[in-house]
Amino acid sequence: MKTSHIIGIILIAIAIGAIMSSVSDAGTYASFEIAASHPSKEYHVVGKLDKSKEQNYDPKVNPDLFSFYLKDKDGLEKKVILNKPKPQDFERSEQIVIIGKMAGEEFHASNVLLKCPSKYNDAQVQMKKSNS
Amino acid sequence: MTQIHFQGEHLLYGTLGHILVIMAFCFALLSSVSYYWASKSEVEDKAWKLTGRISFFIHALSILGIASIMFFLIYSHYFEYHYVWHHSSTILPFKYMLACFWEGQEGSFLLWAFWHVILSFIIIRFSGKWEAPVMAIVCMVQVFISSMLLGVFIGDYKLGSDPFILLRNHPDMMNLPFIQMPDYLSKIADGRGLNPLLQNYWMVIHPPILFLGFASTLIPFAYAMAGLMKKQYTEWLKPAIPWTFFGVMILGTGILMGAAWAYESLSFGGFWAWDPVENASLVPWLTLVGAAHAMLIYKNKNQSLFTVIILCLATFLLILYSTFLTRSGILGDTSVHAFTDLGMSGQLLVYMAFFMVWAITMLIIRRKDIPGQSKEESIYSREFWMYIGVIILVISAFQIIFTTSIPVINKIFSTHLAPPVKPANHYNAWQLPMAVILSILVACVQYLKYKETSAKVFLGKITPSFVISILLTALAAYMLHLDRFPYILLLFSSSFAVIANIDFLIRIIKGKLDHAGASIAHIGFGLILLGVLISNAKSNIISSNRSGISMGKDFPNNENILLNKNDTTLMGGYYITYTGKEKKGVNVYFKIDYLSPNEKGKLVKEFTLKPIVQTNKAMGNVSEPDTRHYLTKDIYTHITYADLEDINSDEQSNSKYAKEVTKTVSIGDTASTSNSLIIIKSLDKSPDMSSYHLGNIDLAVGVKLIITDINKKIYNVEPIYLIKDNMSASLEARVEELGLQIKFTKINPETGKIDLSIAEKKSNKREFIIMKAIVFPYINLLWTGCLVMILGSVLAIRNRLKKR
Repeated sequence: MKTSHIIGIILIAIAIGAIMSSVSDAGTYASFEIAASHPSKEYHVVGKLDKSKEQNYDPKVNPDLFSFYLKDKDGLEKKVILNKPKPQDFERSEQIVIIGKMAGEEFHASNVLLKCPSKYNDAQVQMKKSNS
Repeated sequence: MTQIHFQGEHLLYGTLGHILVIMAFCFALLSSVSYYWASKSEVEDKAWKLTGRISFFIHALSILGIASIMFFLIYSHYFEYHYVWHHSSTILPFKYMLACFWEGQEGSFLLWAFWHVILSFIIIRFSGKWEAPVMAIVCMVQVFISSMLLGVFIGDYKLGSDPFILLRNHPDMMNLPFIQMPDYLSKIADGRGLNPLLQNYWMVIHPPILFLGFASTLIPFAYAMAGLMKKQYTEWLKPAIPWTFFGVMILGTGILMGAAWAYESLSFGGFWAWDPVENASLVPWLTLVGAAHAMLIYKNKNQSLFTVIILCLATFLLILYSTFLTRSGILGDTSVHAFTDLGMSGQLLVYMAFFMVWAITMLIIRRKDIPGQSKEESIYSREFWMYIGVIILVISAFQIIFTTSIPVINKIFSTHLAPPVKPANHYNAWQLPMAVILSILVACVQYLKYKETSAKVFLGKITPSFVISILLTALAAYMLHLDRFPYILLLFSSSFAVIANIDFLIRIIKGKLDHAGASIAHIGFGLILLGVLISNAKSNIISSNRSGISMGKDFPNNENILLNKNDTTLMGGYYITYTGKEKKGVNVYFKIDYLSPNEKGKLVKEFTLKPIVQTNKAMGNVSEPDTRHYLTKDIYTHITYADLEDINSDEQSNSKYAKEVTKTVSIGDTASTSNSLIIIKSLDKSPDMSSYHLGNIDLAVGVKLIITDINKKIYNVEPIYLIKDNMSASLEARVEELGLQIKFTKINPETGKIDLSIAEKKSNKREFIIMKAIVFPYINLLWTGCLVMILGSVLAIRNRLKKR
């Protein structure tokens, strides 16, 4: 057996290992229902902010504690607790991805990703005042 | 329908620009085909070669012309052109005009094409018989890039995006009524301008360097393809080696500049976040480094040619793949880098697929002819271990690109995988062992000769470095309190890499600069690893809060600190004071003083940091850090939360009273306001009411209050509750110095409790910020390492060019 064959076999083994680890480390998009049935596992939950419910952020008590209510894609709503300061422009977000796990009736998020309606593609032209 | 005559437009430039785009496309095609025919025959066909050359020069002039016109249009603020309007504005300083140029996709493709043109001139001048086949490939690439700028319709399919499209013809704008008016241009006040986030000097220097890096990967690819086409499998290597090292250096510099940009002015708290866009440019660099080292093996031992060819081809294909990843919108939510999708993903896919199919086909057709290695190499040879290093680089690249491709995998297999929950942990688990092996190889391999070195000689040479590294590692691990075994391992291996190469430089090369390139570059590599390791493993979030509710160890919520304006707080060995904010343009600067006690125990200011929150219309509020650099550590701060609502309010509204707060209290109680304590001393049954003309049945009760402010100053006031003509009223008491107004609004005869309505001036509301501060120790090792590695690469390239 040539050295090159051995190296080849080792390479393939490591490559398979890399693929397996990538798949097993990969997060999963899920609903609150699934997250609640596997409370120890971390999930990505996609949903919308419920603007009618209260958001609680009192930095004088704790700057790293922010809570809000999120409605997932199936319409199920849960209280979400984030262990970070309230993100900038939080209310503007049209879609929110939270990453974390369920703890009782609450979702403990260690990260949030906001998708804001970008003004970037707006076709707004800054006009001169017409009476000038 | 009559033609509308629009006023004030400068249509000539756009027409000229568009003609040049079409010319650039056509002549790139003509040049590629001509060069191909020139290279086809055994004896080079002079006529075809000349046609290829002339066509290329016309193509080059067209590209330069397009770039010049585009820059001129931006410079002249001709907002009738959509690109100019979309990416620039009249208020932008001159230095950012270049940044406007490559902010958009069309501009960055143009930049890419521009570098190919510049590199091609060098090839035409110096590469002799390789000119024709190499340029055939390069020009084919230029055909695809030029097509991205065409903006012509083939049936319903739009090919490319025309950088010279007029505002009034752009699909986003066409249907706006005002754009149909003949004088629409005079109504446009200004362009939308450059995204404020990109308005810094990094945006001026980073893209050109990175794109030069991208462009330089094409040359080894083109040489390798030329070698396959001409069936000259080995001759192409010699001219391609300096190009490959040039690519390693420039692409590496570009990537590290991106890291430095992220560290200096983006707020994800570090220089590397394993973001897909970062990964997508790191991976081709890894394979290019692999290619460069495999080339050295071949040059000295005539081995591993197949690996060289595969890696040269793969590097450029990975550049195309990364272009596709970042510009097709497929990454979606997984990346912080926002590139707008211009609907060219199909075209990008064709671009990538074309060269992939071509390269793989050539490789399969020719695979039998490529000279392979005949005999097994010895374990005590340099080439064997260099080859192992190349393989490690490939594995490392494969692991990164596989995880980065999760969104692509989802698209192909309709799966719903998300990126890893903790990307840093995922990547580090793989990359740390790779880095350990690589750095040990970097330390040892130079001491091995090609062919065979006796184990005894090798061990004799390497032992001093090994011993010194062990001692240094023990010392450093002890001093830095580094206790995790993988970290100690990497600490050892990377210091071993540095020390062994310094030793090699002094004892073996004896400081001769001509041969020092590799050693110096490897010292830089070791220093980079050391910097990355120490600054990350020992980074310390000093802004911890001890207040409030803890969510437990598994869910730590104590990384940010609350700073009340003008309060001094102890944080990580410093006393810090937030002294106020200042608005300049779109940026709000938050001034934070860092103080420390002097010999007499008095606090003196050491420095001030001014992290920024940018009120960015396009992207929302963006936080930009500010960092204090020391030789051995950096103190990095950024604002994680600030109430920006009052940033525009003036003095007048601050002097108004905010809403009253009613408190029910008893005599003897204490009530607090934001800046004082109120002691409810006693009721006064007969206050002095002589000026109020009270009748007999009227009633007045006062409450004596003692108010103490922060400085222990005492104010005595007495608000009064009044019933006059059967109407209840209250006479408020004010303390102007404290911005306080107190009313006595209710008295409950049964319980003896009273209601006080307290209103404070808005200016009393304590302004606060939430901040995160991280200390990165020894991060300067990283930046020093970068510079050393670049220096080493320059020396190595210079030496290779000298030898030619």
